[in-house]
Amino acid sequence: MITRRTLALGSTGLAAASLASVRPTLADNEPIRIGWLAALTGPSSAPAIGFDRGVHQAVDTINGQGGVNGRKIELVVRDTQGDPTKAVNAVQEMISRAQVHAIWGPTNSGEALATTPIMARFKMPDVHPCFVDSLIDPARFPTAFRMAPSNSQIDEAVSDYGINKLKLKKFAVIGDTTGYGTTTVNSSSASFGKRGAEVVYKGTIDATTPDVTPDMLRMRDAGAQAIVVWTVSTGLISRLMNTRANMGWDVPFLGHPAMGSGEVGKLIAKPANWDKTYILGFKNCSYGPDGKLPQKVQAFVDSVQGKIDFADTTLWWVLAGVDAIDLIAGAVRETGSTESSKIVDYWNTLHDYPGLFATYTFSKDQHNGMPQSDLVMSEANSQKQGAYKLAPGYG
Amino acid sequence: MSSVSQELPRPAAASATGVLGRLLPYLVILALALALPFVTNDYWTLIATRAAVYWVLVSGLNLVVGYAGQLAIGWVALLTLGAYTASVLMAGTVTAPLPAVPAFAAAGAVGAIAGLIVGLPALRLRTFYFAMTTLGFATIVTQIALAWQSVTGGGIGIAGPLLPATVANGTGFYFLCLALGALCTWMTANVAQSRFGRALVAVRDAEVAAEICGVSKPKLLGAVFLFSGALAGIAGGLFATLQSYITPDAFTFDLSVLFFISILIGGRGSILGPLIATVVLTWLPEFAAPLVVWSTFLYAALLLVIVLAVPGGIASVLAFENRRKLPSNRAVLPRPDLLAELLPRPPALGAIRLDGILLRFGGLRAIDGLDLLIEGGAIHGLIGPNGSGKTTTLNVICGYNVPEAGSIVVDGAALSFGTPQRRVTCGIARTFQTPRVVGEATVLQNVMVGGTTLGQAGFIAAVFNLPRQRQDEARLREQAFLALRIVGLEHLAAVRTDRLQHSELRFVEIARALMSRPRFVLLDEPAAGLSVDEILRLGGLIRAVRERGIGVLLVEHHADLIFDICDKVTVLNLGRELAAGTPEEIRRHEDVVSAYLGG
Amino acid sequence: MIAAILTSGLALGAVYALMGVVYNVMFAASRVMSFTTGQLGMLGGVLGAAFIGVLGLPTLLGFTLTLVCCALVGVVTELVAVRPVLHKLEQHLYVLSTLALALMIQQVAAIEWGTEPRPFPHLFGIGGGGATDEKFWLPVLACAATIGGLELLFRRTLVGRAFLAIAEDNFAARALGLPERNLRIASYALAGAIGGLAGFSSGQLLLAFFANGAMLNFYGFVPVALGGLGSNRGAVASGLALGVVQQAANFTLGGVFASVAVFVIFILTLLAAPQGLFGVAQQRRV
Repeated sequence: MITRRTLALGSTGLAAASLASVRPTLADNEPIRIGWLAALTGPSSAPAIGFDRGVHQAVDTINGQGGVNGRKIELVVRDTQGDPTKAVNAVQEMISRAQVHAIWGPTNSGEALATTPIMARFKMPDVHPCFVDSLIDPARFPTAFRMAPSNSQIDEAVSDYGINKLKLKKFAVIGDTTGYGTTTVNSSSASFGKRGAEVVYKGTIDATTPDVTPDMLRMRDAGAQAIVVWTVSTGLISRLMNTRANMGWDVPFLGHPAMGSGEVGKLIAKPANWDKTYILGFKNCSYGPDGKLPQKVQAFVDSVQGKIDFADTTLWWVLAGVDAIDLIAGAVRETGSTESSKIVDYWNTLHDYPGLFATYTFSKDQHNGMPQSDLVMSEANSQKQGAYKLAPGYG
Repeated sequence: MSSVSQELPRPAAASATGVLGRLLPYLVILALALALPFVTNDYWTLIATRAAVYWVLVSGLNLVVGYAGQLAIGWVALLTLGAYTASVLMAGTVTAPLPAVPAFAAAGAVGAIAGLIVGLPALRLRTFYFAMTTLGFATIVTQIALAWQSVTGGGIGIAGPLLPATVANGTGFYFLCLALGALCTWMTANVAQSRFGRALVAVRDAEVAAEICGVSKPKLLGAVFLFSGALAGIAGGLFATLQSYITPDAFTFDLSVLFFISILIGGRGSILGPLIATVVLTWLPEFAAPLVVWSTFLYAALLLVIVLAVPGGIASVLAFENRRKLPSNRAVLPRPDLLAELLPRPPALGAIRLDGILLRFGGLRAIDGLDLLIEGGAIHGLIGPNGSGKTTTLNVICGYNVPEAGSIVVDGAALSFGTPQRRVTCGIARTFQTPRVVGEATVLQNVMVGGTTLGQAGFIAAVFNLPRQRQDEARLREQAFLALRIVGLEHLAAVRTDRLQHSELRFVEIARALMSRPRFVLLDEPAAGLSVDEILRLGGLIRAVRERGIGVLLVEHHADLIFDICDKVTVLNLGRELAAGTPEEIRRHEDVVSAYLGG
Repeated sequence: MIAAILTSGLALGAVYALMGVVYNVMFAASRVMSFTTGQLGMLGGVLGAAFIGVLGLPTLLGFTLTLVCCALVGVVTELVAVRPVLHKLEQHLYVLSTLALALMIQQVAAIEWGTEPRPFPHLFGIGGGGATDEKFWLPVLACAATIGGLELLFRRTLVGRAFLAIAEDNFAARALGLPERNLRIASYALAGAIGGLAGFSSGQLLLAFFANGAMLNFYGFVPVALGGLGSNRGAVASGLALGVVQQAANFTLGGVFASVAVFVIFILTLLAAPQGLFGVAQQRRV
């Protein structure tokens, strides 16, 4: 029976135990501690779940081969649930209590906006896949590196495709009502406008709205020739696609890679609803004209047959997770040290570093590692083992 | 005479050991908090800073939820408003950038006004409904923050306030938040121990009694919402500083619930309980964090366990004096001779006159044309069968029910209806058919509620415990203790009221009624449940009240008491006067005998 | 346009109305407003998708299993979160206990079912996505069936009248010898089943999504508040109205402002009519 005394004694004991600081051993074969700030539950968790598979695969592989210079990798994972408050707590714990050597994540821009200043203050090396432009600033945040496209780069790729490849002039730009959605709708609209196209409709839709017919009707009435979608909510995406089919409106969807995820495939009413959808893609995760993935990537996919399921996630999420661990482990391996300045200096020297997900280039003044040329557009419904066919218009 | 009444204990004076005993838990917590950064790392300092920031908000919300009993679950709306106000003003996106102090003061002001807006529906709505409206407000504020991109940055958010370097972050900021947390503890404890705190609890647990004692619920709650809102706004600014960057998704439903449950787990009517609970609940998710995805589940499970195991909250665990046994064969021995001390200046004799009162409940005529005259310095009995309208008559005089026709005049001035809280200024006091007391408060505190309107110090004076407040409080205490001696309950002054016997509660209500220096006292079946001895003593007490020039209206079923002490008796039947006259006349009246008294 | 607003508005409104009925049934049995109400709706959708969509059970079996499981969750709510705090209702501890339990249910769903909305299978194959799609009239059908069933229960059966008795006057009912505790458990099981039915019938509309619970909690409460606590007819009328108003707001205002508008209308209406539009005035206080 839980009496008040046991409750009081038990909780004091727990408090004392957790207050004791972890003092790591100073021996040279101390493990390499990597912090992984993941939004594994809560909204917008699909990317983190994908990253997580890659992360664990990479850590298991490296540790299975004896670690880095004989040092094993120790992963410190915290589920931030998409909550900036939890993210701040978790990052401080990783820095001060677990004393990790580098951090991968967070996976949500809202969390990253809060954690980046903290990591900068404590000079914690950080790679993350968040899109928001202002997260990367080598002057203010010298230890933060992005290994995914920035919002500007994404807007460029999508508007370029819509205007130059699809040859359309009028666009509707929509997103969900999260921070990411509202912000990206603005930046994407600006990008289209800069290239001389007309944004006839701009709006946000609550991701839980069960019926998006009113919004679709408004877009059609405004004369949109294509709809640009910025949301990771598979529920909203599938409703948009189903409504498009019900309306018999033959308009293409452009935009966020989440539109190609396996979840969407299961939620749409008919497979045909998934046609004419072109998503941001990555060169390394696309089947070339010969129908093949780049050799290195194919080799990886073959090696994890049966261990990693791609059907309900995307290849680039998994590969990004692998690359993140690889970048950190590689820094420790090449510099022989886990010191923050050494890791950061090493990253600043990387030029055309051949990752699985992309080819990265960093420098002291450039911490956005993905070149524009790595960005392509893919056909959303062509997913096979997490990778896509290139969209029409690419040669 | 029993040994209990031989010694006449003075009211609990501010002895050194007493004060130290009450302060000790807070001092221990403060000492631990001060030592924390020096024995552990930045992570725990961050968690402790967060707990301090949350406590700034929770201490104010404690007055709303724990004391006033209003289920304000959506209070995070004020945190959001304060955070954005402070951030926007310091960033200079709308106005020129302000320094920290004015920006935070503005955040407090915005929080105060918002607190009033969010809280006011409490005056109209039932508890759970009010809870849902606060949730609605929380969502509205978040949506506005998301949509108003030019000011708040929309989804991309805005950088938090940047404080001067010494207190910007780390240990410096921690000590700043600690100092503010200590200040808030002191201020809210001051309010809790003042007449405002007692009035809040009275409104929560015995609203009708609070009204008749002169507590104006709108004014009281309004002041509390303003004050709590201000604290929440300032906490918002501190929160934004801690996060260094705020986006709308930082202000989650979980956070709102955290504030609310801190108070319920800490225990209502306590400052220390919610303080401990806030610290524990800020730390608890961190304890569960290594479980990664199952952390929130564990947190919720622990919450459920705590609620079931310790329903009274932490405060009930710490309340040691409630477990001391009371003597079982207690007697209530009033001292009517002390009345002259409490009411030194007998009032000029006046009268309450009721003319043609008509009141219907649906199709039922509860009062059907009633005339009544209650004179000062006399005891007027009101008797009749059940349902004849006796209590309803009292309710009309007190203003709880509004009659359709008729008038009530006190000393030539007409009484307004529907405003029970103004009766105390006309000199009317009352006891209730079922005792309406605050079970969780001490007997002395319940009696002090009766004197709420006699205080002169305002809310601000209470917050800062200014000298005028201290004088008020000392005077009120002394008088309440005297009132308890008059009714013979001074030995139970420090006891929780829900531990008293039913008969003792009746005398507590009389003591409370005497506190407001009434000119008229309305007693609703005070003898119900009393033993024969106690009824005799009650009779003596009521007589002494009459001797002081107070007019007494006595509603009773105990015919012996009525005929013993009343000067005049009115008999009601079916809402109408059946007979009126001296006790002798009534005793022999045919209709009265057949309708009520029996042969 | 009007047709689109009406079809989805009435469908959603029917779901909200059913959640309001769940609140009412639980309140009638125990005087407690439970935060687990919305989670019952969520479970109806998730379990239905799990049994029929993932496990491939036949529709009727999956439906029955879903209702049984939700009824069980209702009973668990009564045992764990309601009964222990019944004697201290004025402290509103039920808010905490039901909230904690609701959070636990939601987290289990998030972890086991996933945090992305998953598809709810077509039941009868009457689709096409237009106004006659089954996803629009299934909730309305469920709502009508529930109201009809409850009327039958309360007016024609002994058990139903026993429910009414303990709702109206608890002490008198106990004095008459009615088994109050068993009736309360039965009420909570019934409420669970109704919640499950609401979630199951709206699965195609709302998708099988773990976060539906919080949304259903609030939007299920609005019909109760506006319709008057304890009045199922009021809940249905208010629920349907809410659904239509919400969809109209979505159409005219769109996105962020639609939900703000709905909340503002709700708060203002409640302030104007605190007992609800169909509710009864408070009894004598003194």
